[in-house]
Amino acid sequence: MALSWRAVVLAALGLVPVAIWPVPGTVLIWALVIVVVCLLDVALAASPRDVTLQRTVPASVRLGTPATSRLVLTNAGRRRLRALVRDAWPPSLAAARDDDGGLRPHTDAAQPARTARHSVQLPVGESARLSTPLLPTRRGDRVAGPVTIRTLGPLRLAGRQASIDVGGRIRVLPEFASRRHLPSRLARLREMDGRASVQVRGEGTEFDSLREYVVGDDVRSIDWRATARGGDVVVRTWRPERDRRVVIVLDTGRTSAARIGTTSDGSLNSGGTRLEASVEAALLLAALADRAGDRVQVLAYDRTLRSRVAGASGPRLLPAMADALSAVQPVLLETDWAGLVGQVRTRVSQRALVVLLTSLDPAVVENGLLPVIDQLAAEHQVVVAAVTDAEVAQMRAGRADVEEVYDAAAAARGDLERSAVAAVLRQHGAEVFEALPDDLAPRLADTYLALKSAGRL
Amino acid sequence: MSAPTTSPTGTWTSAAVTGDGTTLGSRSRRRWRAARWVVGGIAALLLTVLVLAVMRPAGSVIPYDPENSRPDGSKALAQVLGRQGVQVEHVTRVADAVAAAGPGTTLLVTPATYLLPEQVQALAAVDADLVLAGADDGLLRAATGNQVQRTSWRPAPDAPVEPGCAVPAAVVAGPSLLAPGLESTTPDVSTCWADADGASVLAALERGGRSVVVVDDPVLLRNDEVLTEGNAALALHLLGAHERLVWLVADPADSTVDEGLSPDPAPGSVLPSWFGTALWWAVLVALVTVLWRGRRLGRLVAEDLPVVVPSAESTRGRARLYRRARARGHAAAGLRAATAQAVALRLGLPRSSHPDSVVDAVVRATRRDPREVADLIYGPPPADDAALSELARRLDTLESEVHRP
Repeated sequence: MALSWRAVVLAALGLVPVAIWPVPGTVLIWALVIVVVCLLDVALAASPRDVTLQRTVPASVRLGTPATSRLVLTNAGRRRLRALVRDAWPPSLAAARDDDGGLRPHTDAAQPARTARHSVQLPVGESARLSTPLLPTRRGDRVAGPVTIRTLGPLRLAGRQASIDVGGRIRVLPEFASRRHLPSRLARLREMDGRASVQVRGEGTEFDSLREYVVGDDVRSIDWRATARGGDVVVRTWRPERDRRVVIVLDTGRTSAARIGTTSDGSLNSGGTRLEASVEAALLLAALADRAGDRVQVLAYDRTLRSRVAGASGPRLLPAMADALSAVQPVLLETDWAGLVGQVRTRVSQRALVVLLTSLDPAVVENGLLPVIDQLAAEHQVVVAAVTDAEVAQMRAGRADVEEVYDAAAAARGDLERSAVAAVLRQHGAEVFEALPDDLAPRLADTYLALKSAGRL
Repeated sequence: MSAPTTSPTGTWTSAAVTGDGTTLGSRSRRRWRAARWVVGGIAALLLTVLVLAVMRPAGSVIPYDPENSRPDGSKALAQVLGRQGVQVEHVTRVADAVAAAGPGTTLLVTPATYLLPEQVQALAAVDADLVLAGADDGLLRAATGNQVQRTSWRPAPDAPVEPGCAVPAAVVAGPSLLAPGLESTTPDVSTCWADADGASVLAALERGGRSVVVVDDPVLLRNDEVLTEGNAALALHLLGAHERLVWLVADPADSTVDEGLSPDPAPGSVLPSWFGTALWWAVLVALVTVLWRGRRLGRLVAEDLPVVVPSAESTRGRARLYRRARARGHAAAGLRAATAQAVALRLGLPRSSHPDSVVDAVVRATRRDPREVADLIYGPPPADDAALSELARRLDTLESEVHRP
């Protein structure tokens, strides 16, 4: 049982008889009239339980990409169906239509977007297809709500309502906004790779092939023995090492739950936690390392292994990673660094590049990472990539009034402590850098390329 | 019914679902099971209210009210008077009493604490015979023309006292146990049941062509005291003198003086007659609106939300601590160390460089005065907040002047 706005209008129309006969009895009679008419309308409304529903959704969708939930309604009853239908989805998927037809995502808690309502008119036995626009704003698995049908009677004053569970689940994959940095890094990789004109020779590169000398080649790369055998001047070409192992470890402990300043690149990464930036960086590095011919493994760990991708390569790697990382959420637990190092050592037998995506909180590093970094750095090349807070960086530059100067002093003190921790980690042989959330992924890719060209993988 | 399917293109299609498996009967049973205790509780409450309403004694609970049959009421007296042919008119407003108390009637004023001075004047000026029972001093003086006053409080006598006066009602009543509390100095006033100090129970006088009788102790009107000694005879004699008796039990909230000139009209009188009906109509519209808006189109869909802990909170907290403790030294040291580290990094100095070498390098890079640079980076803490702001600004300037060599 539900009323429509027309019932309110009917009640308001009672002003006419009240004006003619201004006694309380008129109101009572009018109330009875409303009750009777509404009950009649409810009795004549089609049953919302005589509607066959079928929902079709994409199994997975990338964060920030519009998607559609399609619902097919079939009027299986014996009455004409006049209904208001709501295909309910969680708030982080719901999107409101703007005035200009665009989708407005649900990012402002004060202005909740609601899933679209559909007005349906169906003769007996016919079907209608309803499309509900969705715009995911958070990673993870989202379970659909029920489909609510409110049927109205012939007068459309009142009707019946039922919520019917149809099922449905959408996996929201990471946005991978950092993929716009991929082309430039791949170009740098090709330059290193010998396919481009520039030849780099150095430690850690391996012999590729012999070819004729052309003007501009480095004379140091002339292979005199081969030149003597043939007659033409022959140079050796080099290429970077391949088939190295890259292990990306995401710290999903409590420090990854902290919200850092919102990203400024217009992406919909409104989760805003450290983990979001880490996931973006992991995806970019994995894509780059895979193109460079290295084998990528990803672990998400706090006190237990939350997610793992191994053995995938080529076109299967990124979908596998997106799928595995979509459900990874920050956990309010202290990260077990000893266990994490143990995981890495059992999973990887050869020397590898181990990338730790975490934060440089001094207390956490001193108690957690520092005691075990030696075990890891002895066998592997370790890179510690930390996400800094854009808001703290803003505070660091504030000079407007005394309060801001104090803020800046506190931020400066925090920066100093973190850089001291980073220096200690460097002494243990790790490569350490900090970056703002937007810069983390490109900085990590650059660090990887630098290590690769230096042959330190 | 078909099973859910996932297509190779990555879309998921649910089974075709019709209804939620409930029927009208099952829904009604479920709703009844969910609501039966609430419905039962409301029903029990309504039943209790009904029983209490039925069992409540009829009539008023106001003392000296002619319809109050409790011990402090006066229903017995009023009923006897009515049976004797006296027309008892019960009023609660002074204006009504003044209007009803014409010549040839008796006006009884029961104890009233909150009479306004205008009301007292109006009551004292009526043409009817006045009987004041337990009147306060203001009314007493106004009604008797200051000829009768109240004395200090005295207890009721232990033994019946003879009237000792010629007032007919007192003579008929005979001995009395009522408490005395009136005194009069003028010989025009007849006083009865006087005690040794001259305080009397009853005072009667003629004033303005009608009689005014004052009884100080109003218990003679009460149901529980009316049969004591000569109380009934006295009351019946005083109140049954005329065919009509106006019985005023003043309502404390009443402030009327005269009909038509009431200073504070009742709320209903200034509003048009249809206002109540329009109000009911508005209530009806509001109720329908509430029912319309109150039904949600399906329940809310819940979602697990991440913890909201802005990472900058701890830094802000530290800044507030600095500020509250006025730790300008600490704040300045933080800013200076950050600048020193930044310029040292830019000039290629190791982290562990000695202050002197940092100052030397900065002086070479900026061509500033060495003492000024040393004072800026390693000087004493600032004296006040303004000095701290100034220091921060100068450090910024210094940092911007140092370039990579």
